[in-house]
Amino acid sequence: MNDGAAAQPRAPSQPDGDDADADGGGAHGAGRFDERFLRKLETLSVIVKRTFAGLTRANRRTRRVGAGIEFADHRAYAAGDDLRYLDWNLYGRVGRLLVRLFEEDEDLSISVLVDASASMGMGQPRKLDVALQVGAALAYVGLANQDRVALYPIGETLSAGLPPARGKAHILPLLRFAGGVVPGGRTNLAAAVKTFLRRHRRGRRGLVILISDFYDPAGYREALNLLRHDRFEVVVIQVSAPEEAHPALRGDVTIRDVETGEERELTIAPAVIDAYLRRRAALLRGLEGFCRDSAVPCFCITSDTPFDDVVLRLFRAGNVLG
Amino acid sequence: MGFFALPDFLLGGLSAGASAGIALAGAALLTGLYLLKLQRRRVLVAFSPLWTALGGERRSERWARRLRRWVSLLLQLAFLALLVLAAADPRPAAADRGGRSVVILIDRSASMSARDEEGLRIGRARRAAQEIVAGMAAGDRLMIVSFAATVTPETGFEDDTARLRAAIERVGTGEEPGDLRGALAFARAVLRERPHPTLILISDGAFSEDARREVRWTDPGSPDNGGLSLAGVDVRFVPVGRRRDNVAILSFAARRKPGDLTSVEAALVVQNFRAVASKVLVEIVAGPQRVAIERVRLTLERDERRRYVLPDVPAADTRLEATLLPGDGSAAAVDDLAVDDRAFAVVPAAATLKVLRVGEGNLFLDGALLSLGDAVDVRRARAAAVSSTRDSWNAYDVVIFDGVTPPQAPTVGRFLYLDPGGPGSPFAVRGTLSDPVVSETKPHHPLLRHLALTDINIARARRLTLAADDVAVASALGNPLIIARTRPNLRVVALAFDVRQSDLPMRSAFPLLLSNALSFLAGNQQSQAVTLRTGQTARLPAPNAAAALSVVDPHGQRRRLLALGDSFELPVTSVGFYSMATTGDGGSGGGGNRDLAANLNDAVESDTAPVPRLSLGGRLLPPVDQTPTRGGQHRSYGSWALIVAAALTLFEWWSYHRRWTV
Repeated sequence: MNDGAAAQPRAPSQPDGDDADADGGGAHGAGRFDERFLRKLETLSVIVKRTFAGLTRANRRTRRVGAGIEFADHRAYAAGDDLRYLDWNLYGRVGRLLVRLFEEDEDLSISVLVDASASMGMGQPRKLDVALQVGAALAYVGLANQDRVALYPIGETLSAGLPPARGKAHILPLLRFAGGVVPGGRTNLAAAVKTFLRRHRRGRRGLVILISDFYDPAGYREALNLLRHDRFEVVVIQVSAPEEAHPALRGDVTIRDVETGEERELTIAPAVIDAYLRRRAALLRGLEGFCRDSAVPCFCITSDTPFDDVVLRLFRAGNVLG
Repeated sequence: MGFFALPDFLLGGLSAGASAGIALAGAALLTGLYLLKLQRRRVLVAFSPLWTALGGERRSERWARRLRRWVSLLLQLAFLALLVLAAADPRPAAADRGGRSVVILIDRSASMSARDEEGLRIGRARRAAQEIVAGMAAGDRLMIVSFAATVTPETGFEDDTARLRAAIERVGTGEEPGDLRGALAFARAVLRERPHPTLILISDGAFSEDARREVRWTDPGSPDNGGLSLAGVDVRFVPVGRRRDNVAILSFAARRKPGDLTSVEAALVVQNFRAVASKVLVEIVAGPQRVAIERVRLTLERDERRRYVLPDVPAADTRLEATLLPGDGSAAAVDDLAVDDRAFAVVPAAATLKVLRVGEGNLFLDGALLSLGDAVDVRRARAAAVSSTRDSWNAYDVVIFDGVTPPQAPTVGRFLYLDPGGPGSPFAVRGTLSDPVVSETKPHHPLLRHLALTDINIARARRLTLAADDVAVASALGNPLIIARTRPNLRVVALAFDVRQSDLPMRSAFPLLLSNALSFLAGNQQSQAVTLRTGQTARLPAPNAAAALSVVDPHGQRRRLLALGDSFELPVTSVGFYSMATTGDGGSGGGGNRDLAANLNDAVESDTAPVPRLSLGGRLLPPVDQTPTRGGQHRSYGSWALIVAAALTLFEWWSYHRRWTV
């Protein structure tokens, strides 16, 4: 196990082109995706609760007045409005100039933020592997639906990620990028989100999928609130390792925090295990409660959950994919 | 190890080498385990706050952690050192040099079972010994020794009062007399070259004057010291016993009379050791059914010893038991000491006397011998062969010279002369008597048992001269007619007349006289059973090369003795009957069965008179000084070490829960 206290999450270099391997190319990404799984992903589509304004027309409808054909609403005429959208029938009845608004079909901006701190490198299988698989799967679905998808590893801050792109042609660079992500560094969700928001200050709002173990000493509330307040739709996926849910520690041990490097000596007795499990359950309950109160979809998975189940059942049950 | 080699300390427990070895090994083990403990298994966790909130030491506090670990290791090493210290039990050498070597000699002889003390005399002795142990001074080493006929060391030299007390409580009484000399010799031997030798004798003082006189107080090397020297030994005496209340059977024996298979002669000696006259009832029972065959009431004056003979005790059984009962015949205890109120005797098997009759034909004599049946085995020799048979006389129990006298009187053997004469006569012949009349007899003499000779008629008799040690059993106006001579290895009975010159053969008295004479001559050699005394080791001949002897003692315990040469050695410890059965070589059987009786038979032991002050070798033994004179109770550093170790354990527990130690 590497020393997470010193290292930082490392993002791979930008993809060289379409000649990259479909499985991500690097050793870290080996086996994360297979052909059978990719075929399943193509049958899914992303369902979002809101519609967002997009830069180009796509398979999503937005309430922004645009070139759509679906009537949405009226508003008072203002100087400069296109006279073609004046509703003369309504002017004849009420005597006011009102402009017809149409829902415009737009593309969706999906940002996948994957926690690549050192703690995500733990577990069997590793939490980071599962997180990247899930993130890549969502990105694939988005690309397949002509959405703009970006992938960012986060740690103490936002690492250089894969910039927004659209079209299935970008799936291979995305998988290659995801396969090259290695864990390292500490977790600071708030700092990473702040960096993300700075980069998207002029960009469009959209869907942010935050995949992490949420083992942040500073907590997760600030990060989620920042996203919500900036009108991003957030989906939270909490990943745990099975060893964390069922620790097999016994006897005198020195525990070492994989991120901070802090060490403590403990005598692991059943009572200590019970207390640990209570604290961990409280952490997860707190996260779920906060998300529920904030209308944020939240999914808790363990890294040994079969990937098919996570993507095909859990997300569908959560009304994210459909 | 240097610590234990400090000159001012001696070790009472583990030796210095053993202590050092244990300490080093223990320290190495502890240190090794501690180093292993330091190498905890490191486990990476994803989020330590989930664990650290549960406690545990932060490794980042390195200096504090190391300090705590060193303190913990030091605590454990200190604990080990205290345990080793306790096991070594060091004590100041000065106190040890001032300590005494004390042998507590507890008398457990038969007299110590007297009931005049609470819990018997031995109980009083045990209590006295416990008091001595309780008052032992610092540095004192005590050794508990008990003795009766044998000496038993119950402990070595100890300062552990628990062991000493337990050993004292184990001492019980026996049925043997006390061997004071053996006990003192043992005590002197174990006290030799020990510091401040002290001997404390706890006893009722029932020892013979000879045993007490044998002690010498001069240096063993001095020329006048032929006895047991206790020079240099501080000898103290603790008396036991309150009163003198005992009547004892000092001897009990039975013998079979030659020529009489139906009855035996029993004799017992009873002594009154009370200060007043006593009436007792002696009951003699026989056989396993304890059939009462004799009851005799005796009135004994103060200190009177009486020998009582029961001449005709029916001999249907071979086991006889005499019991002293109160004069009224009740079953209550007759006195304080029970062990000598019972005595046992075994009637010997009927023996066949081998008799050689030398002389010409004598139908009267032969007829009388024939009437004795299987009691005698008679061989005959003519008068002319009197000299030629001389070498074989010792092979016979009795040799009868009938009207013939060997040319030279024998000096060894048992002989019956009928009408001795000539130069070889053991009694000088001074002439003859005509028609002598029996005028004097000794009616109690064994030769005249059941006889009255006053009316026999004798035509002619020789006038014999008596020697100084001869007894005229029957005489005619001072001229002996029947003579008995008893000398070492020689017994002679002589009739001064030819029986054919009298009407004696025509009377029933003749075979009786002949039987009495043969019994007298054969004496104990043939008919006396062996009666053993407790405390002795009986040497029993091994018949027919028997290899083993199975012995059942009076308590029913069976033992197996192996032959030592041509005999067995049986330690006699209890009064009663010993049953023995021998087996042949290789366990083929074919040996014989035999009973032996064992009695106390010790007047000294039976005299329960208290001896408040005992004198040995002319020196009166001082009492025990119960006050410790050298620093009070022994200071046990070992105990203190254990207490400190316990306190250290508590402190470690307390500090661990406060995270002062790990």
